[in-house]
Amino acid sequence: MTAIVAADHLSKWYGQVIGLNDVSVAVPPGITGLLGPNGAGKSTFMKLITGQLKPSKGSIHVLGVPIWGNPALYHRIGFCPEQDSFYERMTGHEWVTALVRLNGAGDQEAAAMASRAIEMVELTDAANKKIGAYSKGMRQRIKMAQALAHDPELLILDEPLSGMDPLARRRTIRMIKEWGRAGKSLLVSSHILHEIESMTANILLINQGRILAEGNVHQIRDLIDEHPHTVHIKADHVRTLAREFLADDDVLSLRLEEGAVVVQTARPDAFYARLTDLAASGEHGAIHEVTSPDDNLQAVFQYLVKS
Amino acid sequence: MSQNPSAGTSELRNAEPDNQEPKNQELENREPENREPENREPRTPNSERRTQSPPLLASALRIFDLSLGQMLWSRRSVFLALLLGGPVVIALVLRIVSTMYAAGFHINGAQAVGSSIFGMMIWLLYIRFIVPVLGVFYGTALIADEVDDKTITYLFTRPIPRSAVLLGKYLAYLASTILLVLPSVMLLYFLVVPIGGSSIGEAFPSLLADFGMLIVGLASYGAVFALVGTRLKRPLVVGLVYAFGWEPAVLMFPGYLKRLTVAYYLQALVTHEMPQDSAVSMVLQLFHEVPTVFTSLVCLGAIIAVTLWSAGRAVEQREYVLEQ
Repeated sequence: MTAIVAADHLSKWYGQVIGLNDVSVAVPPGITGLLGPNGAGKSTFMKLITGQLKPSKGSIHVLGVPIWGNPALYHRIGFCPEQDSFYERMTGHEWVTALVRLNGAGDQEAAAMASRAIEMVELTDAANKKIGAYSKGMRQRIKMAQALAHDPELLILDEPLSGMDPLARRRTIRMIKEWGRAGKSLLVSSHILHEIESMTANILLINQGRILAEGNVHQIRDLIDEHPHTVHIKADHVRTLAREFLADDDVLSLRLEEGAVVVQTARPDAFYARLTDLAASGEHGAIHEVTSPDDNLQAVFQYLVKS
Repeated sequence: MSQNPSAGTSELRNAEPDNQEPKNQELENREPENREPENREPRTPNSERRTQSPPLLASALRIFDLSLGQMLWSRRSVFLALLLGGPVVIALVLRIVSTMYAAGFHINGAQAVGSSIFGMMIWLLYIRFIVPVLGVFYGTALIADEVDDKTITYLFTRPIPRSAVLLGKYLAYLASTILLVLPSVMLLYFLVVPIGGSSIGEAFPSLLADFGMLIVGLASYGAVFALVGTRLKRPLVVGLVYAFGWEPAVLMFPGYLKRLTVAYYLQALVTHEMPQDSAVSMVLQLFHEVPTVFTSLVCLGAIIAVTLWSAGRAVEQREYVLEQ
C-alpha cells in the first residue's frame, strides 16, 4: 500500500527549540487523525506535510514526492489551515474563486468549482456575503471549501472543528466521512479525541515532537474515559443550559463564566450527543461555540509516556 | 532515540524509528472503511493540469487580481492618499495667493512661472519624498502583510511558484500607487501651471514625461524595498534610512557612491527648466552630475530586474513561521 505521507527520520527545529524530533511514519490512504495536545508538534508536522516548512533533518514525501519547493504537488493537495484568517472584505464565493484560479482554472471554471465546493460545505445561502460577516462555523466551512474546490486527492485539515457549534460540528464530521467514502485521503489534526474518533479509527498520537503511537483509537479512548473531560460552551442562555446539565448524572462539575458554561463530564460521548440534540431543538437558545481544552488529552499523554 | 514510550496497549504500534518492526497483525489486517483504492486514477476534469508546471507570469497576474482590491482599500492606502493630498493643498494655497498678488512669485528676484513651480514640486515633493515613502510602506510589506494577517498560507499552498506571489503583489503595488499618485499630480498640474501665465496646453508634454518619471520611480523604489522586505529584519527602518538618510547624503558628495541610489538615475528624467539664482536652484546644483536618459533608463531597469529577482529568490527559500 502506498503511503500518502511518508516521513523518514524527520526533524524540525527552530533555533534551539525542537518542533519535531526524528519522526519516521507512513500514513496510509483513508482518513487518519493526528491527535496531540497543543504544543505537541502537530502544527509543525502539518506545516512540514504542506511544504510550508523545510525539514531540518530527514525527509518528507507526500503522495510519493518531496513537498518542499514542489508547487505542482498542490494540484493534488487541499489544505485547510488552523488560523482564522481571511480576506474579510471578499465574499465567500469571490474568495474561493480567486484561490481556485491560482490552480490554473479559468474565470468561469473557477467560479463553477467554487460554487460546487461551497455547496458541498452547505454554505450556498451565504456564498455572496462578506466573509467578515460569517460566524465561526461558516468561516471554518469556507476554509474547507477552498481546500476541496480543486478536487484534491489528499485533504489536510488542521483543527477543522475548532470553535464550531454542535450542529456545524455534526455536519462537518458527516462531510469529512463522506469525502473519505468518496475515495479521498484525509489527514485531520485535533487535540480532542472525540472529534477524531467520530471520523476515523486510525490515529497518529503525537506529543513532545514525537509520534508516540499509531493505530486503532478505541484503546486510547478507554484511557481517556478514565479522565474527566472538560467542555467550554458559549450560548445565549447559559443558566438554563447549566440547569439542564446539572440533572445529568455524568456531569461531574459545572462552572459559569461570562456568556459561557464550563462542564466536566465523565461520559463525553453521551454529553456531546445531548449537546447536539439541545442545539438542534433550540430549547435553551442558540449554542454558539463548543471548545475543549487539551487538559484531558494531556493527562492521557502523561500516562502513555510513563515507563 | 532515548525515549521509549509505553503505549499500554497491544493494538497501538510504537512508532519510534528504533522500533520499526513489522506492523501488528491486527493493524495490518484492518482496512479503514474509507480507504482509497490503490492506483486510483484522478477523476477530475482538470486532471491534465496536474502535471503542468505553473507559469510564473500567468500565476503572478492571478495574484495581482486577488491583491489589487485588498491593497487599494487597505488602511495604508487611505493614509497615503491623505499624504498625497498635501501637495494639492499647497498648490491650492499657491493658486489663491497668486490670484491675490498679480506680480506673481519671485524667488531671489527671478519670477517663477507655473510650469517651473510644478517641476520643482514634482521633484522635491513627489520624487524625493512621496514616491520613496510609497515604495517603503508598500514595498517592504508585500509579503509581510500576508504573513502578519496569516493569509500567506492560502497562497503558498497553491500550485504556483512563491516568487509569483511576490511578483503579483509587486504589480498590484504598482497599479495601486499609480492610481493614488496620478490624480494628485493631475490636480497639482491644473492648479499650479496657470500661475504666472504658463499655458496648460504647452506644458502638457512635460506632464506626460513627469507621469513616466513617477511610474519609473515607483517601480524602482518598490522593487528595491521589496528586496529589503524579503531579505532584512526591520525592513521599514532600513527602508526609511535608505530613502531619507543614505540617498540625500551620498548625492551631496562627488564620487561613485551616488550611483548606488535610485534618485541619481531619476534626476536624468527631469524635463523641467528650474528658476535660476534661487535657493532651490542652488539645491538642484548638487545634482549637477546627471547621467543620460538612456543610461538612467537602462540602470533603473537593471535595478528593478535584479532586486525583484533577488527578492523572489528570498521568498522561494525562506520559511515563514506564523505566530500562533
